[in-house]
Amino acid sequence: MNLRTTDLPTAPPVRGRTPLVATGFAIAAMLMYFAGIFGVYLKERALVRAEGGSWIPDKVTIELTQPGMIIWTLLISIFVMQWAVYSIKRDDRQHTLLAIGTTILMGAMVLVQTAWHLSQTNLVADEGPTTAATLIYTIVGSYVVAIVIGMVILLLTGFRTLAGQYGSQQTDGVVAASLYWYSLVFVYFIIWIAVFIAK
Amino acid sequence: MTENQTETESNTDESASRPLEIGGLAGAFGTTDHKKIGRLYIFFGLTGGLLSLILHFLLRLERISIGDTTVLDFGSSNQYFQTWSLSRTSLLFFCVVPLILGLATYLIPLQIGAPSIAFPRASAAAFWAWLIGISIHVVTVFADGGLGIPEPVTQFAQGMDPEATELSILSIAMVVIAILLASITLIATIITQRPQGMTLFELPLFSWSTLVATGIWILTLPVWLGNLMIAWVDFKGDDSLRYGNVENMWDQLSWLWSQPMIFAFAIPVLGIAGEIIPVSANQSQRQYTLQQVGIGALGALSFGAFAQPFFNAEVGNQAVYVVMGLVVVLPVLAFLGGLVDTLVKGTPKVSAHLILALISMLCLLVAAAISALSVSGPALGVIQEIDSDWLGGIINWLKDLQGTVIATSVMEHALIASIIASVAGLYYWSPKIFGNKLNNNVGVLSGLAMFGGLLLSGGSNLINGFLDESESVYMANAYDGIWNQNAVEFVNIIGLIGSILLIGGISLVIFDLITSVILGKGDVDSAENPWNGHTLEWATQSPPPSGNFEEPPIVHSERPLLLSGGTE
Repeated sequence: MNLRTTDLPTAPPVRGRTPLVATGFAIAAMLMYFAGIFGVYLKERALVRAEGGSWIPDKVTIELTQPGMIIWTLLISIFVMQWAVYSIKRDDRQHTLLAIGTTILMGAMVLVQTAWHLSQTNLVADEGPTTAATLIYTIVGSYVVAIVIGMVILLLTGFRTLAGQYGSQQTDGVVAASLYWYSLVFVYFIIWIAVFIAK
Repeated sequence: MTENQTETESNTDESASRPLEIGGLAGAFGTTDHKKIGRLYIFFGLTGGLLSLILHFLLRLERISIGDTTVLDFGSSNQYFQTWSLSRTSLLFFCVVPLILGLATYLIPLQIGAPSIAFPRASAAAFWAWLIGISIHVVTVFADGGLGIPEPVTQFAQGMDPEATELSILSIAMVVIAILLASITLIATIITQRPQGMTLFELPLFSWSTLVATGIWILTLPVWLGNLMIAWVDFKGDDSLRYGNVENMWDQLSWLWSQPMIFAFAIPVLGIAGEIIPVSANQSQRQYTLQQVGIGALGALSFGAFAQPFFNAEVGNQAVYVVMGLVVVLPVLAFLGGLVDTLVKGTPKVSAHLILALISMLCLLVAAAISALSVSGPALGVIQEIDSDWLGGIINWLKDLQGTVIATSVMEHALIASIIASVAGLYYWSPKIFGNKLNNNVGVLSGLAMFGGLLLSGGSNLINGFLDESESVYMANAYDGIWNQNAVEFVNIIGLIGSILLIGGISLVIFDLITSVILGKGDVDSAENPWNGHTLEWATQSPPPSGNFEEPPIVHSERPLLLSGGTE
């Protein structure tokens, strides 16, 4: 029984949604990463509070202005990114590129605001190192890395759109990039609530 | 048009359609061919296996003393701990994972009839990132880095370098990111590149087990990465508080080598045995869907991201953990039962890969049974209300097993079961992977050596667990509270013999690969489909051409070749 594939009937070409599936699993990995860190953060905060301690040191003030601005920037970016998807489905590459470029710009704004926020908070400088500071820096630092990765993905998607790789017949790349971006907004929403609002 | 002209045109067309093949080092470095990447993983995985088993041997040697003299002195507890932690990280990340990824990267596109792996450049990037990361990690541990130290110290005077430690953390993070990337390429291939007619429930069992295993890795390894990053951020600070304290570092990371998480790295054992045994019995697997459910259940029971004793000291007594530890034996037992049923109803042909596959299943079953034993104390604790001295005594004795070297025994059995299964896979698929059959007798010998080695090494840890030897063998007080130090040391000598056998077993495999494949002494003539394999990888040349298949096939069962061949 030495069969070759020619002995089996030929199949039509496979339908590829490969970028979407891969992005789905990449998002799952990223969410688990943040879930793990949030788990540690919430557990440690509960322990400190149960012992009657103060989680955020008394001298440290976490301003809510910048996180509020960041969440609004990110919420608006959802609509902008959806505009890119809408445009590519109609072969409107000009607007797709405009939307992707605007989203990258919004990502840069998030980075600038985050850096400014951390510099104003002075988590370590005001009170010395604390476990809260370590965990907040880990969460926010990881988020900055995730945003930079998102901006790089958008940049590559933009280049590929410019080169004509994506259009109404092949939207997977732009949709995949948008899914990753939406997941970033979701993660920041959790940071905003769990770390900054309910501090 | 003359006959000659037609021939010339045909030749030109062929050469134009043939992809450019670059050989040598440039071919290896620049390749995006899943077959070459798979072979590279396997080569480095076996090398890493030899290194980690040598470290395992040295650690065993240190646990033996003649009179008052220790046979091997590492100089300081830090250096012993660095070797100890490296033996664990290298056994997992430098041997078991690359062997599984190597077989999966090579075989999965073939098993599902795909011309290539999804995202071939990402797959190549994952391999090189893994190799660079693990190499840096090994070097930094030898340069006084590593993932922590055993006991509190006020400074790094005891042979630990902060910069090397930082590099150790970042390099192992790089390894984990590479594994995640490789897992995503594999899972995307399985889900999206299947041919017409092949549903997920008609996937070959090895592909199914890879889908389950990589799925669990994608959901759990990022949590471990998060632990690592928290430790790194704290370690980078001027004054580490808790997570970055070197004496706390390993405690935050050790859950990856403990149950239930350790079984996530043994899931492909079921898949490999599930491929080999029905083919060896010339019989289709009975209750195929139930076998898939068994693999899925092992995956679900190995989700261990929640079981982190550093952040929850009571987790070992909590219901979810205890139940998972108790029932993990069931899917393994059910799967093995299904395989034995197939074997009994078929006409088995004894071969190295069949023996190795059965041994690996047996080792995994023992791992699961020891896991159940180690959590039986807390499980029985719920009936502690019964007024019975002897029952209470047994329960307390079983509870004391937690934190002993029994946990090491579970880890050894699970990971070495994975290595033996990977070696079984190598002997089974070697005609496909290398174009040569490996030597059957050497395969049997290596299997028996590794099985014997595991029985002695893992068995000695099991016995020493009953004698209350602490899992933290690197601590100065590891022997405090043990029943009989002489007995423990005697059993450790038996464990040392086991370590030697394990090294011998993996060395035989490397020797066989060198002689049969590199020196070309293996059987090439019958390499096309020597075992009458049932799955699609055997429907193409050995080794497969670029693009794998002449035409993408339609399939209607999990064993298309068996049904087409009419051997049922």
